[in-house]
Amino acid sequence: MLGPPASSPARGRRSKMRRGMNLIARVDGLALIAALATLICAAPAFAVIGFALAPASAGLAFGADLLADGAFGTLALTLAGGSGAIVFGAASAWLVSLCKFPGRGLFEWLLVVPLAAPSYVLAYAYAGLSWAGGISPVRIEGFWGAAFIYAMGLYPYIYLAARAAFASQSACALEAARSLGARPLKILWRVALPLARPGIAAGAALACMEIAADYGAAQHFGLTTLSTAIFRAWYAHGNPHAALQIAALLLVAALAFLSVERRARGRASFASGRWRQLQRYELAPLPGAAALVFCTALVTFGAGLPLAYLARLALVHAQVEDLARPLLNSLLLAGAGALVTLALAAAIAVAARRVDGLGKLSLFAAGMGYAAPGAVIAMGALALFGLARAGGLVGGLGVGLTLAALLWTYAARFAAAGAQPIDAGLARLSKGVDASARSLGAGPWRRLVRIDLPIAAPSLAAAALILFVEILKELPATLILRPYAFDTLAVKAYAYASDERLLQAAAPSLLIFLAGLAPILVLSRGLNAARAGFR
Amino acid sequence: MPFVLSRRGFALGASAAALAACGQAGLGGTVNVYSARHYDTDRALYGAFEQASGIAVQVLPANAEQLLERLRAEGEATEADLVVAADAGNLWRMQEAGLLQPATSRALERNVPARLRDPRGHWWGFSKRARVIIYRKDAVEPIEVASMDDLTHPRFRGQIVARSSTNTYNLSLLASRIERLGAENARAWAGGVRANFARDPQGGDSDQIKAVAAGEAQAAIANHYYYLRMTQSEDPAERAAAEKVALVFPDQAGAGTHINISGAGVVKHAKRRVQAVQLLEYLVSDAAQILQAPLNTEFPIRPDIAPAPALAALGAFKEEEVPLDALGRHQAQAAGIFEEVGWR
Repeated sequence: MLGPPASSPARGRRSKMRRGMNLIARVDGLALIAALATLICAAPAFAVIGFALAPASAGLAFGADLLADGAFGTLALTLAGGSGAIVFGAASAWLVSLCKFPGRGLFEWLLVVPLAAPSYVLAYAYAGLSWAGGISPVRIEGFWGAAFIYAMGLYPYIYLAARAAFASQSACALEAARSLGARPLKILWRVALPLARPGIAAGAALACMEIAADYGAAQHFGLTTLSTAIFRAWYAHGNPHAALQIAALLLVAALAFLSVERRARGRASFASGRWRQLQRYELAPLPGAAALVFCTALVTFGAGLPLAYLARLALVHAQVEDLARPLLNSLLLAGAGALVTLALAAAIAVAARRVDGLGKLSLFAAGMGYAAPGAVIAMGALALFGLARAGGLVGGLGVGLTLAALLWTYAARFAAAGAQPIDAGLARLSKGVDASARSLGAGPWRRLVRIDLPIAAPSLAAAALILFVEILKELPATLILRPYAFDTLAVKAYAYASDERLLQAAAPSLLIFLAGLAPILVLSRGLNAARAGFR
Repeated sequence: MPFVLSRRGFALGASAAALAACGQAGLGGTVNVYSARHYDTDRALYGAFEQASGIAVQVLPANAEQLLERLRAEGEATEADLVVAADAGNLWRMQEAGLLQPATSRALERNVPARLRDPRGHWWGFSKRARVIIYRKDAVEPIEVASMDDLTHPRFRGQIVARSSTNTYNLSLLASRIERLGAENARAWAGGVRANFARDPQGGDSDQIKAVAAGEAQAAIANHYYYLRMTQSEDPAERAAAEKVALVFPDQAGAGTHINISGAGVVKHAKRRVQAVQLLEYLVSDAAQILQAPLNTEFPIRPDIAPAPALAALGAFKEEEVPLDALGRHQAQAAGIFEEVGWR
């Protein structure tokens, strides 16, 4: 965030020289590591763009229509699902953070639970519940059905970010508003929400990129989006090159989107060092009941109902399969993937605050992959591997190299999910602190260890847990880049679901959900301790 | 569960038979399989092969299009020896991409009908599936859906459901029509069916059958085994739904019912070619053909092997005589036609 210290006009040429020196000084370990991390995370996405730009062997028949419909579909779906997620997430975060109503304490952590459910599992569950032969009176299908599923499955991103933001807001601002006689809704609208905007924007960015990247739910619901268009070009037209071109479009759109988000977030840094327990506003019985119903609905539709449906299917299918091995594999991959991605994301996020311009760019570049389907990023990684192999740099995809490629793809795909929360956490660091430390002669490493990391520690933990859950749910990259006889829960669920054996798919799907639940609850609890000024 | 026990017992018996048939122990070692077919039954099939041959089978299940990209990236460094796919179109694409090699043997030539394999042996079918019409018994007379052409009839306006044409089964269905009757006919047919849709395509074949059972449409296009599976489902609701519908093998008075294969081909840069061919041969051997039919509800590739009782109960039917490599050749064109008529 901080520029070179010397930019006062009075210093003239010497300042320029000093800036040059500073740049060199800053091309030290940290900046180098950050650059490397960016390169690693962005390489598959850039490979996709690069291969997309290569001259085409065959054009795509009706490509323009497909592309236009896909772009429109993605835009509309992101708008509809994204705004649903924002409203649900921000409203529920406000309720549990600043209001008092029956069940508030319970909902504080229950509201995060839908994060454990992959969108494709939600889509299959709702299709089973509400399509022909289902028990639901309302059909969850088509565009609005998918938007509903995204909103229900992804609002926790905004909820988490907004809750953290509400929690770290200066109680003084809110109390001042209250003492001036503002009603809770007005406080929400005029004070709390504007203060929480950076957090909400960061969460919304993740949710929207996830919607844009989703293939499973959109395909099952028969929608044309850029993601389904990618697979239509690839699978139906047998034209992987055209698929890469559409994917490149999605990646570039993600870049634009990330910068818009950054602008929406503004340069605001609203953190206040002072913090004390906020007096929650006691809701009257009627609004209190409404809050209870609202939160119950979110948890029920985002997790409870689909979960119960899967449990029922798993029970109907009495033949018990041994899922211990896939569970272990899932946990191992998710753990290793989360650590690798976290380290890279942290390097990028820290550098983004330290190094002007380029730092932010690296945050964008590494974040792109989050908006593209995992299969595309995997294809980029595979193609790069193919080049390296042809160049004699590596041999075949043995177990070691396969796992390395897989972890790399995870990092490329999920760096944004790690870097966004860390970046938001670092934003709490008021600008003066770093400058003071520097003026006191603290070098970049010392500042990293003594200031950045402690400040970002709660967000680092949050990022690690989000990454763990994301990778646990991840399917397409795992599917194509794993070694022999290395099935994960998601792969198991896919194998059955793709063969339309939903009874058999239920148990592994349920396990993905349950395995993700523990870290999510930790995440939710940890958030309470993550308030500014709490250290 | 008795069903599980009998399944396992059957598999054991069959593998013992296969062992006896093979006589001497095989080459040993391993064979690596990239499989785009993930039936539980495949495990039993490979297990039986392992016992019979002493060759260990390592499987990497994933989807066909992605396996193709992995093979392409791996090139000569690949560890894969055999690729299995649940559709001739996908095998053809791998062949086109230069990822398969011709492999043949007397046993393969003898057991796999010429129409159901690549003429030069890049891939071989080992079981068959039929694309059929499922209709609601209380709304449709079987004679009204005797042909795929009937689905374009105005009588069925708003009454037909089918899955997305991104799916390879629909692509192959249309590709075979392009081969038989030309692109114009194929376009007219796809457009006619599209005009009769009860709704935009959503879900898989099973979802179409359920929609017909629930009265949301009168007829659907689906692979035969999805229907068969519903009749045998552990879920009583699915069995009840299957009661309401019936299956017809279309075009018996004409060209015959469209069929497709599960098949496999030897990878171009296979390190264990001999073992791969041996596994291929096993898949079309008496033992495997008898073993797999009842397990995964597909038809045996060999005309001389009787299908399992549940399959046989569907009745004998005439198959479309299109060479299956045509499915691959016309697949991209089929996708274009689907795009044109608005059947995504």
